Formats: sequence, structure tokens, C-alpha cells
Amino acid sequence: MSHPAYLDNAATTPLDERALAAMLPHLGGARGNPSSLHAAGADARDAIEAAREHVAAMVGASPEEIIFTSGGTEADNLALFGLARRAPSEKRHAVVSKVEHAAVREAAKRLETEGFEITWLGVDEHGMVDAAEFSDSLRDDTAFAAVMCANNEVGTIQPITELAEISAERGVPFHSDAVQAAGREAINVSETPVSTLALSAHKIYGPHGSGALFVREGVELSPVLFGGGQENGLRSGTENVAGIVGFGEAARLAREEMDGRVRYEAELRDLIIAGATEVSGVRLNGHPERRLSNNVHLTVDGVEAESLVLMLDALGYAVGKGSACSSSGHKASPVLEAMGQGETEAFSALRISAGKDNSSEEIEGFLEAFAECVERLRELSPIQTG
Amino acid sequence: MTDRYNPQVIEHLVRPRNVGEIEDNHGTGESGDSACGDVARFSVRMDGLRLEEVRYKVYGCAACIAAGSVLAEMADGKTVIEAAAITKDDIEAALGGPLPKGKEHALTLVLDALHKAFEDHWNHDSEALLADGGYLGNGESGGKTVVAAMSGGVDSAVTGLLLREAGYDVVAVTFRLHDGEPGSRSCCSPDTVLFARDTAHRMGLPHFTLNLKELFGTRVMGDFVGSYAAGSTPNPCVSCNAHVKFHAAAFLADRIGYDKVATGHYARVAEGETGPSLARPEDETKDQTYVLWPMPKELLARTVFPLGDYRKTEVRAIAEERSLAVATTPESQDICFIPDGNYRKFVGKRIEAKAGEIVDREGNFLAEHAGIANFTVGQRRGIGVSAPTPLYVTDVRPTTNQVVVGRKKELEVFEIGVKNLNWFLDPEESASVQIRYNGEPVECDVSEDDAEGGYVVRFREPVIGVAAGQSAVFYTEDGERVVGGGVVSRRG
Repeated sequence: MSHPAYLDNAATTPLDERALAAMLPHLGGARGNPSSLHAAGADARDAIEAAREHVAAMVGASPEEIIFTSGGTEADNLALFGLARRAPSEKRHAVVSKVEHAAVREAAKRLETEGFEITWLGVDEHGMVDAAEFSDSLRDDTAFAAVMCANNEVGTIQPITELAEISAERGVPFHSDAVQAAGREAINVSETPVSTLALSAHKIYGPHGSGALFVREGVELSPVLFGGGQENGLRSGTENVAGIVGFGEAARLAREEMDGRVRYEAELRDLIIAGATEVSGVRLNGHPERRLSNNVHLTVDGVEAESLVLMLDALGYAVGKGSACSSSGHKASPVLEAMGQGETEAFSALRISAGKDNSSEEIEGFLEAFAECVERLRELSPIQTG
Repeated sequence: MTDRYNPQVIEHLVRPRNVGEIEDNHGTGESGDSACGDVARFSVRMDGLRLEEVRYKVYGCAACIAAGSVLAEMADGKTVIEAAAITKDDIEAALGGPLPKGKEHALTLVLDALHKAFEDHWNHDSEALLADGGYLGNGESGGKTVVAAMSGGVDSAVTGLLLREAGYDVVAVTFRLHDGEPGSRSCCSPDTVLFARDTAHRMGLPHFTLNLKELFGTRVMGDFVGSYAAGSTPNPCVSCNAHVKFHAAAFLADRIGYDKVATGHYARVAEGETGPSLARPEDETKDQTYVLWPMPKELLARTVFPLGDYRKTEVRAIAEERSLAVATTPESQDICFIPDGNYRKFVGKRIEAKAGEIVDREGNFLAEHAGIANFTVGQRRGIGVSAPTPLYVTDVRPTTNQVVVGRKKELEVFEIGVKNLNWFLDPEESASVQIRYNGEPVECDVSEDDAEGGYVVRFREPVIGVAAGQSAVFYTEDGERVVGGGVVSRRG
């Protein structure tokens, strides 16, 4: 008996019905523009401010330190370009890890073409940044540094508090992408001295197209969008009210339910790891202990990931390809490459991410399907594997 | 447009057909490599020309798995000729239409693997071809059937087209002759095979590839290097036509029960009382009879040269009119296995150069040379001896390892010896002789050489720069037909 299941929560989570319920009033019928003076406008404004408090509370920030954006990517871009352009003209250097999400990596590459010098910080075989190496890479002309809280592919959690403290001591603004970590790792900006922190709603059971950037009080950013001056002048454009409200509700739930969710997700994660690695030629990637509660990242020898994902999909199990390849065909992901893996391994990488809505029966069904698909694809393969 | 797979692809992914590997196979083929992410392997079992069983394996993306499944299923039970006509479009159609962008390579990959299995199958019989006996089948199927050599260039493509329009059942064949230089686009490189297959398939023609690397390596490339080492000037196109190209096409024709063979050469086959002979083509500027003289007569009897009646400009026009992708490809290289044209470097890498003397006609020492392979009769540049009047290489003597130089006048030759002869007509009919490609024929008298064997050829006027190893091709009084040809064995 199979239990079809969605196991790609690291890509996006299902929308929590409570978040949906909170959004619905803002999607239909008469609604005000939050910038309008009338009552309808004020209602919208109030809804946004309530959401801002929930999002701020999730990371231990003050509401005025939260800038709503269209999502994690925009938050990362606002942080990098905002910090780079606001930096004194003699500071044209930045430190960025090699395992960043594309939103940070590509923004940093863009800065490189604009004349910035980027020190690309390597990682060990588990995907971990080394704090001493990070410290050594900071310079007098470093405008900012960026290291993510936890990796989106392999789930490795970085020593972010330590890195942020080193950066703060050296007076270098520090950005961190917390899109995957928020709601799974306790992040408290009062204890972790990041300058900016990127957040997203749809990884914590909120809606798509909604995110935020935490900007610590006193940290100055240049805007990247210009217009009506919404969001404290940092994000012009009429607010996505329903999206923000959904984000707020999702953030409230994440904070309240985090302990239980994390414990539950980790149980499912460990079930998957134990079951999947029983199949021969299947290895776990990322850090053995310091990993996100929902992340399982595997290398499946002798099997091409796309075929495996689609075959599992046909059997009712939605999982992710483990390597965020460049769109133009086969190329190893920069993350796996930084961890010292080759292209062949990258073609065989699979990411399975459980969530609060999955059941252990689903995991059992998945593990059966996984073993079957791997066996069938290996039978189909002309390449001999050990 | 989304990049979502058609349901047919997913269906074949989940339930792939004909998976496996045949132990007692009649051919296996593999394409791709794990470093580029995809590998396909096919194996076939045959009963005569019927594909009794087709099995495949794939490591790769869903598109590759599904495309392999579809192709194996389509080919199974067909004749090898029918299967060789299955196109990428056919596979795509069976998969429910266009694959997502970037996945088209799956079609090329699986088709190439199946075709390599066919290639392997023909290769099982390569002893026959290497023994120089591949063409001896009866070639009488009763139908109008032809195997046409297809390089992917404009001439061979139009050849296939004209044959089909003349009512022939045409099977195209591409020869894998050499590995080419890395990155080069010379003919017969691996990419050329894929291109030629596409060209044939776009015209609806079945396509096969024959691996002739061993045959071509010994009979053409080996001979080429050996000739230079022996101080003579070889013509690799001549050796290819003498031992490789037509033999291979006939070899395939015999195995699939086809009558004729065809190439895109500019020449004609003339019928006469004593059988067929070679004749000059319509387009005198493209005349290739000079390199075709060594064709065995029994092979010429089953050969068709459709381009013999056309001018090159007309051929290009036909290609453009039918939108053949080849219409704009450039003319092929002089020597296909030396794409950069530097034959000295090619030869130098393959033989050990031995230093020797450069002398004048009286035998006086003039200078040292680094190896006779660097010299050919008639050469003026790069001799390395300064003199008031320009010096030419007038002779290369392998026995004494000497290069003889002299004035231009000393290059003049009134008589040559010719050996390894191949006659289409009575030698008596020879009225003129041509000693280089695109050269002007010179009037001559031909007689048997009682002393040394072969024939003696006396020119009516002196000829400059004849080198041993070159071809001498004899033409009839009207200049239209090839009487025969041979290899220059001595000068003067």
C-alpha cells in the first residue's frame, strides 16, 4: 500500500490553512491601499503592521527592523546591493561563501562585474565554513560579508553567531540568508549580531511571493527599487497585503509551534536517512549533526537524479533534485563542487525534505518506492556500479 | 511553453520496453559517456536482415530513458534497413511531440547507440573487407537498389536525392575512416557521422556507418606515409578509391542484397563492347576521373555516378532548392585526414627522419637535409641551398638517401615508366596521359616495357615535375574516356 506524498518542503511548503484563512479577507472584495488615508487604507496598514510584529518576533527583532519584500531573492538582493552601494567608496571588497543560494551568489557575481572584489569563502566536505578562515578573509576595505544560516541544498547549518560576532568586531556589516533556517533553527538577532537577514514566507507554510529583510537599526542600505517610498523608503511599491498577512500568520505559527515541528521533522528526517542509506550505494551529504531538521541530501550511485525524481513522481512521491544545476544542462552545482564533489556525483544527488504535514506512513511508502526506483534505474543502466 | 515532459515520456520512464542486454547478440553499440551525464547502449539479435530482438540500457535523464525505450520498441521486428531509416523525428513523435528545451540530445544519443550496434554488426564481417574481397557478391537483386556513400557534404547529399528521384531504393552509408584531429571539422570525424546521418534521414533514406579505420589506416594512411618515406609522392584519394570506398559500399550492398553502389564523384560510367569504362563528367572543372582510375572493372560495372551529368553549380542549386542543410558547406579538404594541410608534419610524426645529402646532378655535395620525406620532385621552396638561379628538387633517391636538385630545365621528362596498371580499355587506345589532378593531358605513346614490366610512356613534349608515386591516367583520342591508369615508377 503506497502513500503518495509531498516530500519537497525545502523547495516550498504547503500553505498552512490558518495562513490561508488570514489572507482570504485581503484577496476579495473592496480593499484599501495601505498608503490611502481612508479607513479601508488604514485597515490594510493595520494588517501589515500586525504581520510585521509577528515576523519580527520570529527572529527577535523590533517591528521597525522588518522590510517586506517579494521574497527571499529580493531580500538578498536588497541586502547585497544595498550594503555595497552604501559602503564608503574605498570599500570595494566583500566576503561571500561559495555555498550561497543563487540569490546571493548571483548578486555577488554582479557586484564583481561592477568592480567589486569578492573573496569566495570555501567550505569543508560537509559544507561548513571555517570561522578562522572567515576571519582571515576580512580586510580593512571589506564592505560586507555574507554567509547563509543553513544551506538550501545539503542542509548544513553554519556557525552563524560566531561569524556574525567576528564580523561585528571588525566593523564589517554581515548579511545572512535565513530562508531555509527560519522556523527550523532558533534565530535571535539580539544574540546573533547580523546586520541584515533574509526571510521567506513560502518555506514556513506561508504564501509564495512574500518575504522580508531584517535590517538592524542603525544599518544603512541603499534602496534598489525607487518609487513611493514604502517600507521605510527601502522597498517602494504598493504592498502585497494578503501575502504579508499570510507571512505574518505563518511566522506567528512557526514561532509558537517550532519546537514541536522541529522534533517531528527531525524524526521523519532520521527515518528517511536510516531507510534510504540501507540501499547500497546511497550516501548522505552535508553535515552528520549540524543539519536542518527537514533536510535529507543523498548521492545515489549509478542513478541519474532527474530520472529518479520523475520516476518517484510518477509513483506519487514529490522530491527534489539534489543539485541546483544551471539551467543549461548538466553542470555540477556550485555547492557540491565547493564540497569537493565531482559532476557525476552531482548528477546523482537527491534532496528529500519532510515537513510538519507528512506522516511516518508516507515516509515508509516513500522508502519502498525509493528502493524500487533505484533498483529499476540501476537495472536499466549500462554503467556497472560497485 | 512549459518544459514539462509529455505523459508518453513518463509512461516509458516508468515502464521502459525492451530493457536489457542480449548475450548472443549480432551487434552492440554505445553512445555518450557518464561524464556528460548520459550513456545509451543497444544490442541486437538478427535473423538475416530481420531484427529478431532489440534491447537497450540507458543511464541518463528521463528523456534518454524514454527515447531509448521507444526506439528499441520501434526497431524490434523490423528489417535492419527499415530500422536504419528511423529518424529523430520519428522517436519524438512516438514520445508525444517535442521534448523540453535542452533535452533534444536524448534523440541523438539513443539513435547513435542503435546505429553503432549496426556498425558493430557489419564490423563482425570486416575480415572479408580487409581481404579486399568485399565487392565480389553477385549484386543482382532484381530491384533498382543502390548503396550511396554519404559524407554529409553537398555532393553526396544531392547524389542520394537524384538516385531516389531516379527510382532507386537508396541506402546511405558513411565511412568512419580516421579519428581526425581533435576539434577539427574535417570529413569523417565523429561529428560528421552524426551530420551525415541527419542529412540522410531528412531525405528519408536509411543510413549505416561502416568502421573502416583499420582498412583506411593501412591502405591509405600507411601507404601515404610509406610512399613519402620511399621518396615518392602518393595520392591518398587514389588509394582510397582503389581499396576502400567502393569496396566498402559494395561490401554493404552485398550484405543487404542491393545491386549498385554510388558516390558523389564527378565522373561517368561509359558502356562499351569490352564492358564499362570511366568517362569525363559534364563539369570539366570538377573532373575526378584522374583519382578514380584504380577502380576494379567489376566494381565499376555496378557503380553509378549521378553527378556525372551535372555541373557543380547545378548541384548546389538542387541542394538549395530542396533546402538541404548541406547546401552551404564548404568544399572538402585535399587530404581528409590532414585537415590543416601540413602533410610534412603528419609524415614527420610517423617516420624516423634520417639526415642525408643534397647533391646536384653530377653528385656534388651541396648541403645536408633532415630527411627525404620533406622533399618532393618539382619542389622549389624550403630546399635550404642558396644559388644564383632558383633550384628545384629534380629527384629523390631513397636508396642513397639523397635529394637531387637542379635548374628548372632539369625537371623536364620525356619518358616515364608506369606500373600497377588498371585497364578499362585496350591500352592501344591511349592517346594522352594526365599526370596530376586537374592537370592538362599530354599526348603520348604507350608500349609495354619488356625489360622492367609495366608500360613505357613517351611524351610528345617534355613534361615538368613528374614524381614517382603519382598517378598516370590515360585517355582516349577524343579525350573523353579513361583507358586506364597506373603509378609512375620511374622518370626518364
